[in-house]
Amino acid sequence: MNASKFLVIAAVMSMPAATFAAGADGHGHGMASGEPGKASQASRTINVEMYDNYYEPEMIDVEPGETVRFVVENKGNLVHEFNIGTPGMHDAHQKEMKMMVEHGVIQGGQIHHDMMDMDMGNGHSMKHDDPNSVLLEPGESQEVVWTFSDKGNVEFACNVPGHYQAGMYGEINFK
Amino acid sequence: MSRIRSLITVSLLGSMVFPTAVAAQEMIADTTSRKQALTSWGVQFEELEYRYSDDDEELGVWSADFFYGTDDLKVRWLTKGEYAIEEQAYEGLENQLVAQVPISDFFDAKAGVRFDTPEGPDRTYAVLGITGLAPQWFEIDANLYVNEEGDTSAGLDAEYELLLTNYWILSAAVDATVAFSEDREIGVGKGLVSTETGLRLSYDLVDRAFSPYIGVVHERKYGDTADIAEAESGSTEDWFAVIGARIAF
Amino acid sequence: MKVRLLTGLLSLLMPALVLAGEYNLTVDRVEIDTGDFVKEGIGYNGKSPGPVLRFKEGEDVRINVTNNLDEATSIHWHGLILPFEQDGVPGISFPGIQPGETFTYEFPITQAGTYWFHSHSGFQEPDGAFGAIVIEPEGREPFRYDREYVIQLTDKHPHSGDRIMRNLKMMPDYYNRQQQTVGEFFSDASSNGLMDTIKDRMAWGDMRMMKADVEDVQGFTGMINGKGPAQNWTGLFEPGERVRLRFINSSAMTYFDVRIPGLDMTVIQADGNNVQPVNVDEFRIGVAETYDVIVHPRDEQAYTIFAESMGRSGFARATLAPEEGMEAPIPPMRDPARLTMADMAGMPGMDHGDMDHGDMAASEDMDHSSMENMDDSKMKDMDHGSMDGMDHSKMGGDDGQPSDPFYAKGSGIMPVAANDGKFLSYADLKAQKPLYEEREPTREIELRLTGNMERYTWSINGVKYEDADPIRLQYGERVRFKFVNETMMTHPMHLHGMWSILDVGAGKWNPIKHTVSVQPGTTVYMETEVDAPGQWAFHCHLSYHAAAGMFRKVIVEGGPDSTQAKTDVAIEEGGDA
Repeated sequence: MNASKFLVIAAVMSMPAATFAAGADGHGHGMASGEPGKASQASRTINVEMYDNYYEPEMIDVEPGETVRFVVENKGNLVHEFNIGTPGMHDAHQKEMKMMVEHGVIQGGQIHHDMMDMDMGNGHSMKHDDPNSVLLEPGESQEVVWTFSDKGNVEFACNVPGHYQAGMYGEINFK
Repeated sequence: MSRIRSLITVSLLGSMVFPTAVAAQEMIADTTSRKQALTSWGVQFEELEYRYSDDDEELGVWSADFFYGTDDLKVRWLTKGEYAIEEQAYEGLENQLVAQVPISDFFDAKAGVRFDTPEGPDRTYAVLGITGLAPQWFEIDANLYVNEEGDTSAGLDAEYELLLTNYWILSAAVDATVAFSEDREIGVGKGLVSTETGLRLSYDLVDRAFSPYIGVVHERKYGDTADIAEAESGSTEDWFAVIGARIAF
Repeated sequence: MKVRLLTGLLSLLMPALVLAGEYNLTVDRVEIDTGDFVKEGIGYNGKSPGPVLRFKEGEDVRINVTNNLDEATSIHWHGLILPFEQDGVPGISFPGIQPGETFTYEFPITQAGTYWFHSHSGFQEPDGAFGAIVIEPEGREPFRYDREYVIQLTDKHPHSGDRIMRNLKMMPDYYNRQQQTVGEFFSDASSNGLMDTIKDRMAWGDMRMMKADVEDVQGFTGMINGKGPAQNWTGLFEPGERVRLRFINSSAMTYFDVRIPGLDMTVIQADGNNVQPVNVDEFRIGVAETYDVIVHPRDEQAYTIFAESMGRSGFARATLAPEEGMEAPIPPMRDPARLTMADMAGMPGMDHGDMDHGDMAASEDMDHSSMENMDDSKMKDMDHGSMDGMDHSKMGGDDGQPSDPFYAKGSGIMPVAANDGKFLSYADLKAQKPLYEEREPTREIELRLTGNMERYTWSINGVKYEDADPIRLQYGERVRFKFVNETMMTHPMHLHGMWSILDVGAGKWNPIKHTVSVQPGTTVYMETEVDAPGQWAFHCHLSYHAAAGMFRKVIVEGGPDSTQAKTDVAIEEGGDA
């Protein structure tokens, strides 16, 4: 599965996984951090580069309600994620990502997309298809268009196990 | 030609006389103590005690060893004595000087001399023995002695330590002596000569450096040796209460 | 050091300002107060541990070391890649530093991370002669944290190093106060049955080995940054901050199991080299190893850094707190570890008759080459339907027990997290950024780690250093070292001057270390790119094992010409220390 196809799936598949990934703060995806936006509505484009294991930039200023088109490029040697959410959402998502790593879906610099379809029981799979995030192999680049809600505690983060804790996160500052 | 030959000679000589020349490729030869065999020393008083017998005899007793040497060769001085306090006389006084080399993973061989200089006639023996740790944690010390007269005898010491706790230790020791020829002058008959069995309860007060103990010791003479003792109206069997300390430094 | 402090302050204010650093260290007799006892020892600049030396990658350092002792000394820069004459091992890199003499080390700093330095002369290191090194990278740190602390562990003993060595030679169990007692016999008998307990004791007695032989030297006080448990070293934080802790184990003999109850730790660096971050609840730090972790204390409370010795004979303790004086509970130590027959499986010529072969199968399986595809093959065989909610940290054991491929299967010393969570394994360590291209090794060298506990002799391939020829390597080759541990003890093997690429089965992501622990009954592989000419030390980092002979000189032959000229000079000086 190539990157663009993955992006399509990521864009098309929307809510089913949301409950699974709901943050500890009890909100669904759309609530605390914002909601998927349309590229046409984006007020501006922000390039985010992902390295092992940090972002550049590490701090982004947005207006409440602003729609931003993020062009995310993985310039590192490892798989990284760009995920917009509250710390609680990241925390919950890290548990899923941990499972993906333990099951070999993510190994170092590789994503085994074929394994993502595996039935995990209870109707869960390990698909990484939330609209607030992209998961990229080294060298890959993708877009996330996001409409931010009003002020809140929102970060962009990589939830590959350990990466967030090691400091691969950035602050979203609402002006 | 001759120049080449002398060069070879010199280099041959050099490599014999200065082993470092061979190691020249080692850039710096390691002459630190790390490259030398590790020498060590130690002093242990396995017994240093006061004995009080069932017929009111009082003895001061020690059994100690001092060693110095490397893994491959140690010199060991073993000393044992029994001093009768009332008589102010050594009932037993034995010193051994032995060289000790490893012969297996758990055993060393010993060779040396033993001088017995108690009250009464002295004896000098050649000693050949083994010492080490037998399966199931028995410490074994077995020796063969030959004196200047050609009298031969053997001694076997075995000790086992039972750990009641990691500080309270009950140790059981048996020493047995067998003579292959009679040495009447010092009261030794042919056959099993004597046994000494001790049971001591110790407490490690300061590391393993100072461990006071109390215990009981049973001494018994057998066969011809017992007969000789009886003939001289000595006792053939004694029970002692003991109090003392194990010392190591 | 005053100069350095000043430049340190300046560089804090002006990060752009980089100076070629000049540092001064004096080697002094010092007093060490553990809270349990006060002891004369050896330190640097009047203290033990010595100062934290802060270098910057890319700088050239000059370090003037003045020996104020009445004996020769030396400083080895543990883990630093430098010219061999600067490596500080008397008799191998240089002659040593004589009393009253000042020796100037000069070398470029070509790496970043957490390291340490220590004397390589006699038992000065166990006596206190060590300090920490923190090297700031040229670029940014690939992590985010708000503050950092060095956490330097040691096992301070009331006896001097010389005395400990002598006591061990006299009585190998001199310091072992965890031996099996009569009481343990009866408690084992009631839980395992009388006959099985007798059989077990007979099997061990037959080998003349002790199950309790996990730590040779007990009776120490565990210390962190020079403070004993009662003195409680405290690092401050603001709730919500991320704190980087640079753990260094400067112990003579002691492995520590480290945890911070209430905090997850993310391991980001091992032996100075960044690793792919791993979240853990607890980790074991071998002697001479370093691990950097990031913690994120969110609450206004104190947290205890608790480091229990592997054999549970002692612990070190420190506190992270929002305010000085705050404390968190100190957890009780867990039960002493006991070796199992699995740990003995590496011993040659053992009478296997009485042993439980079920326990022992592990040793044959320990070939790490078979781990290469472990993750993949496991995956395919798994019943995915039943996976929901499974605790994957405990995967791998046949019987549902946790397992770690770097311990013998059924080992008695395999660590388990106190909270049943994740315990770091070597298998979790993957290089963040491989330092070398992956390539086939040019040859394999087998090093059997050997010894005799009853004689307290330690050796490699059955030969002590005093009797051994150097190991000769060719510049430019890549050597695969095969460590086979035939003893019942863990050995932290440290190769000077060149990196140890530990084979964890991760191919090009194999982590890069300077010290590799080899557990009893296991075989561990590491590879070394022979890229440093000269001669180097290679040894077990347990002080008394190294001194007893588990030590080698490694000679790297060939290499750049310039080095050859330098080494010729070195011959003239000879060695004496």
